[in-house]
Amino acid sequence: MAQNFQHPFQCIHFVKRKNGESRNVLVASAGARLFSYAAESGQRLSSWPLDGADIAIPDANGAGSNPETEGPPGKKRKVDPAEQKKNGDAPAKKTPAWTNIPILTSTPDGEYLVALTGEDKCIRVFQIEEDGSFQQLSERPMPKRPSAIKFMENNDILTGDKFGDVWSMPLIPSAEPRPAPKTPAQRSTAIAATNLTVHTARNLKSLEMQINMKSQQQEHKKASEKPVFDHDLLLGHVSLLTDVAFASLPSPDPSSTKRRNYILSADKDEHIRVSRSRPQAHIIESQCFGHTAFVSKLCIPEWAPELLISGGGDPHLIVWKWATGELLHTVPLAEQGSEADAEGQPKEIAVRGIWAATRGADSQRIIFVALEGNPTLLPFTLEPNGSMTPHKPIQTSGNILDVEVHMNTVLVSVDCIRAPGSTQEWRSATSTTLLEAFQLKQGTTEWESVSDQMLGTINATGTVPVGLTEGAEEKEKEALNGVLYGLENLRKHGWAGEETVF
Amino acid sequence: MGATAKKQKREVYRNKVAAATSAEVGDVALADLKLPQKKYYRQRAHANPFSDHLLKYPLSPAHMDWSKHFPAFVNPDPTQTNLAGTRKLLRDVEVVDIGCGFGGLLVGLAPVLPDSLMVGMEIRVQVTEYLTNRIKALRAQQALKRQMTSTSTPSTPAPEPSPAPATASETNPNSKPATPDPTVDDSEVFPNSLIPGGYQNITAIRANTMKFLPNFFARGQLSKIFICFPDPHFKARKHKARIVSETLNAEYAYALRPGGLLYTITDVEEYHYWILRHFGYGTPVEKGQGPEGGEEGLEEVKREGSAELFERVSEEEIEKDECVRVMKDATEEGKKVARNKGNKYVAVFRRKENPEWV
Repeated sequence: MAQNFQHPFQCIHFVKRKNGESRNVLVASAGARLFSYAAESGQRLSSWPLDGADIAIPDANGAGSNPETEGPPGKKRKVDPAEQKKNGDAPAKKTPAWTNIPILTSTPDGEYLVALTGEDKCIRVFQIEEDGSFQQLSERPMPKRPSAIKFMENNDILTGDKFGDVWSMPLIPSAEPRPAPKTPAQRSTAIAATNLTVHTARNLKSLEMQINMKSQQQEHKKASEKPVFDHDLLLGHVSLLTDVAFASLPSPDPSSTKRRNYILSADKDEHIRVSRSRPQAHIIESQCFGHTAFVSKLCIPEWAPELLISGGGDPHLIVWKWATGELLHTVPLAEQGSEADAEGQPKEIAVRGIWAATRGADSQRIIFVALEGNPTLLPFTLEPNGSMTPHKPIQTSGNILDVEVHMNTVLVSVDCIRAPGSTQEWRSATSTTLLEAFQLKQGTTEWESVSDQMLGTINATGTVPVGLTEGAEEKEKEALNGVLYGLENLRKHGWAGEETVF
Repeated sequence: MGATAKKQKREVYRNKVAAATSAEVGDVALADLKLPQKKYYRQRAHANPFSDHLLKYPLSPAHMDWSKHFPAFVNPDPTQTNLAGTRKLLRDVEVVDIGCGFGGLLVGLAPVLPDSLMVGMEIRVQVTEYLTNRIKALRAQQALKRQMTSTSTPSTPAPEPSPAPATASETNPNSKPATPDPTVDDSEVFPNSLIPGGYQNITAIRANTMKFLPNFFARGQLSKIFICFPDPHFKARKHKARIVSETLNAEYAYALRPGGLLYTITDVEEYHYWILRHFGYGTPVEKGQGPEGGEEGLEEVKREGSAELFERVSEEEIEKDECVRVMKDATEEGKKVARNKGNKYVAVFRRKENPEWV
């Protein structure tokens, strides 16, 4: 039992201190908490939420010990109306509302840290104080769980959610939100059915009941659960969104200096949609057709904004000229990333992340790709024509969870709990390696492992212990696995041998 | 027990239909060529548009194989193929009936727009199967009629369907006399005259258009979209499942060419106002007030978002539009509403040009 597992870093990100010059603070999320570290020394500066703060610290085993909050995130639990009333009387503020922090990002200038807390679907904006502590500027509960947080012009937040909707909202919520936007859905509380439109005996009976209910309900109208902050619906898919991107291109009219802004949205139904940005987000400019499984990540390198690299459940990446939806190249991943499994079947792979960077004196344009539940990081050079030349893969000590490129170093967060290559099996003993770093050997395309003081200190400090309740360990482990590795759930499983796409 | 018997009957019947429609059509088969019976294809009227459904759809519009849907319109040049390697058509599909159900609209429109290729999309698999068989039967019957009349009158309406063999190579063992089967519960009968186009211009596909419309139709490919008697999804919680919404209207706008029309008809007054609101029309145009929700909503709607891509077509123009008449009177739901003395609310919107970039 007592293997003393500790939560790996789910996300890592470099940000600036408040009014700082450079991104010299590393922020990482582990379990339900955020940690900040000095980028040079690796010394832990602070954590969030603070011990003893008004939001109770999610005791590392908070999820485990309380079966009530257990379960896949985002799923609605059925709550007994009587119980709900009880909770309403004494708000259960003391228990943590989330067990993980799946998104950690910052405004392009590095000034503001933006995090998503898992189960409560809150987008939280922070600044890092001089001493490295977290100052939360806002928390905004979203109607549905965001799957990506990006930034538009003026640092406005762009998110896409599990319901298929893309929203924009200001980074800092205005003190006085506009009067709650009345959506048509909210307005039409009247019963729409009439005896002209429903005819069967049962339907008529239920209509009658609804009318009766309605007349009784008139007095106590339930307060709307809608968020009260400014947020605008820009566009929507009838599908689960997996990623969004904001991009800007110069106008094709050479006499105009005005840039054209776009929103790209990817979903689990293989689509990548290219829309104009607001206020014309309802105009779809093109569609990028080519994926045959879900799309999970979009990457538009800032040094090549006309190109898009997308990946998902297909064994290849696709490089697009996205403005016209033109497929430029497909880049195989399978032969490098994963070998065949025991039965000789090629293992299904899913792209967990795509990161763009430039390296070295000659500014090599590099794309890193990590696969779900895989310890190999795949570096490529993105050629000017859009093709991608693979480098020698980088082996790490655990499944890659997140990658952050800082200065000349590639920092990789690895899973210290699960066996490398597996999203389910746990190691027999925890690994103390949370972070690894790699650098490009001068003048080559080979990457070598480097270790510095920062890594040593962070790895030695550790994160939060995973508390497993005796007797319920397997179930808890499964839930924790689900938090970190959810991509395969997006895959469609048709009849055996049946192609869904023809 | 009863359910199983019903299921068995369905299977027997459908196998029979499959055998009959795959058989070569000849004079003798005509006697047995009856429209498929709806009772064997009934399916619950609701489908979850969010689930995966094991659907088939093309990788992109350029991969769609329309040739098997419109054999009479296949480009005679076999080198003309699409990205999936299947034969191209002589013209593009440009009319879509979203949620076509049993196909009343398509069958009614086929002679009205004989030169337009039209496709009905329906998410319920059994209903789509019914419509596919219905169209097959109609086409075969028209082909035979044309053969018989062409001997006397040489003028045949274009396009020429694929030639049917003159003699039956196979006769159906269950053939019955040519008189209509009195056990047929549906009132549908074959049209006894030749129909322009011979139903070669309509087809049905099982699809979830809320997810996959862009997989079938390229930007600006369509000239007409019909949304007839959509599932009202009365509960507010289910409103995201409605087929008309601001976000979906952006997709309809993508597929419709400027000047193209989007037709809607519903018997649910509240849904009618919902449609108007989502196309940015808040002013009451109908006589009689909408329900509370509708009325309140009529005041503050702005023409922004996807609504700026559409304009409402005037009542006078609607009056003159033959398609509207078909939509009101020929659809199965339209007939049902008339039987129940319900109301029918029609709204038609024209796709405008995209505005300039801002």
